[in-house]
Amino acid sequence: MDLSLLTIEIATVLLAIGVLVIGLLIPREQRFGLGYLVTIGLAIILFVSFGYYGINATAFEGMYYVDDFSIFFKQLILVAAVLVTLAATLYVKKMGTNYGEFFVMTVFAALGMMVLSSAGEFITLYLGLETMTISFYILTGFKKNDSKSAEAGIKYLILGAMSSGILLYGLSLVYGMTGTTVISEVAVKLAEMGSLSPAMVVGMVFLVAGFGFKISAVPFQMWSPDVYEGAPTPVTAFLAVGSKAAAFAALIRVFMIAFPDYSLQWKMLFAALAALTIIIGNLVAIPQTNIKRMLAYSSIAQAGYIMTGVIAANAAGVRGVAFYGMLYVFATIGAFTVVMNFSANTGSDEIRDYAGLARRSPLLAAVLTVCLLSMAGIPPLAGFAGKFYLFSSIVDQGYLWLVIIGLLMSMASVYYYLSVAKVMYMADPVDDSPIVVPAGAKAVLLITMIVTVFLGVYPQPLSVLANLAANSLFF
Amino acid sequence: MLTEYSGIPIIIVWAIVFPALILGASKLFHPKNPTPVKLQTYECGLETQGDTWVQFKISYFMYALVFVAFDVETVFLYPWAIKFQSLGLFAIVEMFVFIAILLVGFWYAWKEGALEWM
Repeated sequence: MDLSLLTIEIATVLLAIGVLVIGLLIPREQRFGLGYLVTIGLAIILFVSFGYYGINATAFEGMYYVDDFSIFFKQLILVAAVLVTLAATLYVKKMGTNYGEFFVMTVFAALGMMVLSSAGEFITLYLGLETMTISFYILTGFKKNDSKSAEAGIKYLILGAMSSGILLYGLSLVYGMTGTTVISEVAVKLAEMGSLSPAMVVGMVFLVAGFGFKISAVPFQMWSPDVYEGAPTPVTAFLAVGSKAAAFAALIRVFMIAFPDYSLQWKMLFAALAALTIIIGNLVAIPQTNIKRMLAYSSIAQAGYIMTGVIAANAAGVRGVAFYGMLYVFATIGAFTVVMNFSANTGSDEIRDYAGLARRSPLLAAVLTVCLLSMAGIPPLAGFAGKFYLFSSIVDQGYLWLVIIGLLMSMASVYYYLSVAKVMYMADPVDDSPIVVPAGAKAVLLITMIVTVFLGVYPQPLSVLANLAANSLFF
Repeated sequence: MLTEYSGIPIIIVWAIVFPALILGASKLFHPKNPTPVKLQTYECGLETQGDTWVQFKISYFMYALVFVAFDVETVFLYPWAIKFQSLGLFAIVEMFVFIAILLVGFWYAWKEGALEWM
């Protein structure tokens, strides 16, 4: 057993526990450096993780993958965690609760996601999933004195527990029929059995439902707008990108490695879900007046676009998922950083209060516009390249109808994205006071904007990594 | 194999039947003349005050949570203790790492005042 394969995870655990201990040793007023400590630690881990490309090994006798696919998703999670922790400092300070705890829980959530993206076995997968979601239950209800945050925490806890139960039931049915929990062996056993038994079908449907909840696909999306609105905004940002990406990684591994022979069956399911998710996510986003709810519905729609890559079930599709997932991290965190700093200054999340933001803080308005337009897929920005990869992977597989739905709904989404931009640039501000953005958040805003524009013009570097990730899954 | 365990259901059945017999017999034969004094919760001693349906402090859940940490530790320690001779040095180091992580958690709970009664 080579423990060095787990360096990234072990380093993350040490970082979380180290920060927890340091937080205990120093007095409350001096804990404000902990956020930056976490950011630096995660950035170092991110840097180290580049050395793990090309290893393609398994640890614990096939139970834990350390392949390019998992490394790519770990990097995605680390990028998200670095950006969120860097952007969140002011917001968390204003929340007034235990400062260090917030960052420790964020690192633990990131750890759960990493395990989830590497899991080669059902129990490991479930362990990672629970580490992630339990951390998120705590983070969602972190504003103890805010009834909305508490409500969101309880709602997420109850619905999350239910979905975990459904997923676990699905996993146990698959285990019951095949007698193994190792994902790659499930495929072998299924091939020996020859046909799908009814219990196996039920198991697969339950897996789709359980994962569908985590990626907030329609009709399992009911939790996400309320939770996204009530949770502290940095948590919302991390929840929207991290947990979704990690769940996609696990979903791709389970369905493409364990059930490749029955792809026709689950492709049909996912295609129906993707179409529903894209249509409902985008249409319901239009009438929203709260920006966090609007972004929640838009992130539901984004999950629908990403699902098209899963439906392709080949290297091109996975490359699309990986590529789009990374862009989605930058665009979403950029948008939420604006929301975070706007509400830390004004205390409001209503879209109409964004009136005249361009005059109060040109940077915030510019970043929000670029990020939203990238999500809509407007050509010079990165979202266009991502959607191009995703849609082109399924267009020749008989899913032209889904591509057309995706394109039509992308156009519809431009409407509600642009109406935010219109409020920011055209309307007059009610209150002229400038908005203070701390240096860390400013850095995040600039990084997200530059990356979103840069990858739209020159997607090569990211697409090389995404290719590596996809090819390691289909060797 | 089955007869080895047959004592258990016999004891269970007897444990149900025997108290029923005793209580039933005394119910049949004991004299009945209740008075208000006899029906009090404590026939001799303190007067009872108020209702029994009162609210308890929810702080108990903190103790339950801290307990769970140690509970899990014990669950993990048992199989380790049985097997650790064949597992070697690695398992011992592993267990110390595990206990160290748990102790950090306990220390954290202590420092944050989870063990203080409000």
